[in-house]
Amino acid sequence: MIGVLEGELGNPESLHDSARAPFAALEEARAAVAALVGADPDGVVFTAGDVEARNLAVKGIWSANRHRGVHLVTTAVEHDSVINACRALQRVGAELTVVPVDRDGRPDPTALAAAVRDDTVLVSIAHAQDEIGTVQDVAALCAAVRARRDDVAIHVDCSATAGLLPITADVWGCDAISIGGGTLRGPRWAGALWVRPGTRLHPLVDGGAQEGGKRAGHHDLVGIVGLGVGARLALDDMAMRASAMTAGAATLIEGLLTIDGIHVNGPRVGRIPGHVQVSVDGVEGEALTLMLSAGGVACSPGSACSAVGKSSAILEAIGHTPPRTLSAILFTLSHETTADEIRVAVDVVADTVGRLRAMGVRE
Amino acid sequence: MRIVDALGTWCPVPLRLIARALPEVEPGACVTVLADDPLIQVDLPAWCYDTGHELVSLEEEPGGFRGIVRRRLA
Repeated sequence: MIGVLEGELGNPESLHDSARAPFAALEEARAAVAALVGADPDGVVFTAGDVEARNLAVKGIWSANRHRGVHLVTTAVEHDSVINACRALQRVGAELTVVPVDRDGRPDPTALAAAVRDDTVLVSIAHAQDEIGTVQDVAALCAAVRARRDDVAIHVDCSATAGLLPITADVWGCDAISIGGGTLRGPRWAGALWVRPGTRLHPLVDGGAQEGGKRAGHHDLVGIVGLGVGARLALDDMAMRASAMTAGAATLIEGLLTIDGIHVNGPRVGRIPGHVQVSVDGVEGEALTLMLSAGGVACSPGSACSAVGKSSAILEAIGHTPPRTLSAILFTLSHETTADEIRVAVDVVADTVGRLRAMGVRE
Repeated sequence: MRIVDALGTWCPVPLRLIARALPEVEPGACVTVLADDPLIQVDLPAWCYDTGHELVSLEEEPGGFRGIVRRRLA
């Protein structure tokens, strides 16, 4: 990224010589992202982060297929940018079915397929739930939908797993995959949507012919290059990173469960590597997050991307009720998180929870 | 056949996408164009006339238009 900032910052869409290096960098990043999702580079559309990528998938596919139907299917544990994109489309005529999930946050493939109607144009599911960490059986979900109808588009939101778990567009048989830079340890403001050639997609941003006309406007070349490098490094190191992060999460869970009144949310196995969400009896998640930050421990109330204290809709979807839905905090480890850092974090959590409970700051 | 997906774009963007794609196929070879801006019915024949590429067909289909353009030989 620094190399791009220090080098030629020509417009990669231009015809003059200073466009060549930026264009080559753009296409190198496209190839890296395509390799990460196991797909062809021609289908990659760069976006400003994963939220835009999800919006582009949901709104763009629905809009381009309105002549075939207006129905959308998703699950009760999708990211806000999927759920709210669906809700926005309901204002302009879309019909939405939200499939419930079990106590671990998993939809039943049969129920997902049963929700598909003759006028369904898109099924949107996530590779993993970004709050409770549940990894879905995407292959089984896609197969169930395909058995019901083979001409409905399937979008898989991989923003919580990109670079951490294998993404296999062709094995899954899906039509669109969204990713962001965060899990790649790249720029969070950069993202991409891969769309299988032949899948009808309208742009969200109208204008010129950038990104094949699917995302107009000048490229954020610095962010895109960072996304590409992040994708390449993550693909190379995925097994090592995932192993270290899974082990670190297990250690963290083990330590946190020594504290009275802490409950792990989501399944104990089949989680996003390095992903630990717990609810803490007798304290409120936002207050705990702020106190932990003062103690040098970074976590988030609810989900990692939106630090607003509120009852978690995801925890409600898997059957929990207040106060547990208000007292959740999320830790996300990296492969570089050390055992000492985890031990210190557990000690700080134990101390902080004790002080908050003594102060009577309750949910 | 190479497909130029111009769905959702507004003229003249479909023409720019076609212009980019044609050099990537052999002279005399064809590309398929998908578009849903109704102006494609006017712009594509005119652009082909101006540039010397052959508009083999342009037909309305559910959700838009499908055209076939043959790259000029020279």
